[in-house]
Amino acid sequence: MNERIDKHSSLVGRIIDGSITIDSVTKFEELLKVFPNDPGLLRFYADLLKKEKSLYAAAAAYGLAAKLFIESGSTLQAIVSKIFEWRILKPSQKEGQAFYSALGEGRHKDRPVQRFFAEMTYPVMIAFIIELMPRYFPSGSMVKKFGDEENTLYFVVSGALKETDYHRLETGGRIQKKSTKDLVENDFFGEIYPFEEEGVSQSDIKTITRVELAKISKSSLMNVCRKNPDVKLLVGHLYRSRSEFVEKELKRTVRKTVRHKLPTQMHLKIFQDEPGKVPLNVSGFSEDMSLGGARVVLGAKYETGHADNLTGKNVKIKIDLPTSSDSLSILGAIVWSQEVYLEGKKTAVVGIQFKEMTDTDRRLLDGYHYGSDGEQNLIWSLWDSLMEK
Amino acid sequence: MREAQDTEMESTPTIWAVGGGKGGVGKSVVSTILAFWLARMGKRTVLIDVDLGGANLHTLLGIKSPPRTLNDFITRKFGSLEEICIDTEEKNLRLISGSSEVLSLANPHFSQKVKLINHFSRLDADYVVIDLGAGTSFNVLDFFLAAHEKIMVLTPEPTSIQNAYIFVRNAVYRRLSRLSSKIPSLQTLVKIAMDPKNELQVRTIKELLQFIQESGGKDVAEPFEKEIGEIRPAVITNMVKDNKEKNAGRIVQIVAEKYLMIQSTNLGTVSHDSQISSKVSDMVSLIKLDQSSHAFGNIYEIVTKLLGD
Repeated sequence: MNERIDKHSSLVGRIIDGSITIDSVTKFEELLKVFPNDPGLLRFYADLLKKEKSLYAAAAAYGLAAKLFIESGSTLQAIVSKIFEWRILKPSQKEGQAFYSALGEGRHKDRPVQRFFAEMTYPVMIAFIIELMPRYFPSGSMVKKFGDEENTLYFVVSGALKETDYHRLETGGRIQKKSTKDLVENDFFGEIYPFEEEGVSQSDIKTITRVELAKISKSSLMNVCRKNPDVKLLVGHLYRSRSEFVEKELKRTVRKTVRHKLPTQMHLKIFQDEPGKVPLNVSGFSEDMSLGGARVVLGAKYETGHADNLTGKNVKIKIDLPTSSDSLSILGAIVWSQEVYLEGKKTAVVGIQFKEMTDTDRRLLDGYHYGSDGEQNLIWSLWDSLMEK
Repeated sequence: MREAQDTEMESTPTIWAVGGGKGGVGKSVVSTILAFWLARMGKRTVLIDVDLGGANLHTLLGIKSPPRTLNDFITRKFGSLEEICIDTEEKNLRLISGSSEVLSLANPHFSQKVKLINHFSRLDADYVVIDLGAGTSFNVLDFFLAAHEKIMVLTPEPTSIQNAYIFVRNAVYRRLSRLSSKIPSLQTLVKIAMDPKNELQVRTIKELLQFIQESGGKDVAEPFEKEIGEIRPAVITNMVKDNKEKNAGRIVQIVAEKYLMIQSTNLGTVSHDSQISSKVSDMVSLIKLDQSSHAFGNIYEIVTKLLGD
């Protein structure tokens, strides 16, 4: 799996890619206290509310997710969230136009898919998204097989897929593997353009993580194009500009994701609610830490009781940086917890929100994980000159 | 902790430690094949698993459930490391299986690790290969710094390169931190230098040594310089698919030289080997694999190079 996919190793990423399942509204709400502005998390929260038949709350969550997606430049994800909101609460013309205007303010045009949506007029966008069908696929699903008829355009909303290309051998009609590549959010696939050509798939496309796709059939898209000729131009441009952006985005995403990979040992003193009760001392590891919080897997040998009991507790975190004679000391709160199995024994993974940390500790933590700007820049400069293909 | 080489006698084994920061770069596989080739060359070898994240080296040697682990030694069920060594299918190769529980969570005191290293040095072997596992915790860095050969494994991926560099960086500061532990003023200086945005504008080890010299004199600075000079990691770039990817180790070398004054050795590269990946997933002993593959061949050359040094 390449680095474009590694970004899913964060806690939120693990929820999105399906490796952690949260099926409790309460737990989601606790998690949202730690990551209040994470649109991906809100999307899943909204999905859960919809599943629980809390439709108005779900619509509100979809709406907020759409707003946050716009702010982060994720046009496609914003549109899909809005589709779900509007399926619950039909929008007025005014609301539709307000959404379109908001999209315009946050529009990014870095990638073909972003440009595709950014250049739509309001009527075109509405005509297009009416036909757009979001759908989840579990990890390991075959979305499209070699030899299938090409009749659908897919946009990757979240998650990652692997595309394996083949070509037919002239003798015997056998196929031989040619290449593979990964598809991540804001990529698209499905060779349906030019519309006049009827093709069959030259690749297998299989999900690596849980994936959300937004798809539109070739026939529906052709209908939209007949009514709105500008769409055909946009579709043509979408396909033409695909290849030139892949490498650029690969590099950009790689740089964004090279963090939080080193396992760091932590000692937690978890304070009990009852006065006078002795705090619980546990140790654990985090491979997912930022300056705002950490996801910590507690050591299996500690008896913590049910994981739910840890949520809400205040905690003092001690991190013994091997490079420092002193320990870092951080005050925080457990805002989320879940039971997991470690080495065959039941333990807990907890999400901790950091609340108090000295400026020096903050900088030491930063240096421990990443080094200085100069070191980082030199690594990337050398990467560009020695490794870029 | 004293360097193992300081205590070396004719009969003590040479210790190779294999680390590198990031998980999943193939440290365990490289450790196992290094040990395999040493054994095949007639060197009595013990492979030790101190992987903190998950001790599983035994599975790479086809051992499903190790009868004894390092934990049994640490908790004094057995009095010597010899008693917990497990024979493998390969003549001359024995294994000490790991126990992540004790090492990772109890975080043995520095003196306990010194003792453990001393016990490693007393093993009846020519070579001891230690698989350190991921991370840059005290345990990993202390074992790494104590070894005769400090081997770093990385892959041609940005995260791996970055983490391998941070691994060396933290190793250097760990050594400096230990050295300065008895001189409070220097310890403060080292701590300040670790802050990447410190007000003293100390951005490199060279600048730090200049500060140490200015504050404590040349006699104080020289031992620091000497100790840093002795950290000479040997870099292996693993899972290489083409010529460009062979440059990954070079990146770490260049940055470490500029910022940390570290002179590292490029041990070479190991080709990506799908045979190994699939067999590791199937828990098949690496010893049973086709040893004429590129990866095995590459590691054979690395062992030859290390033995020649």
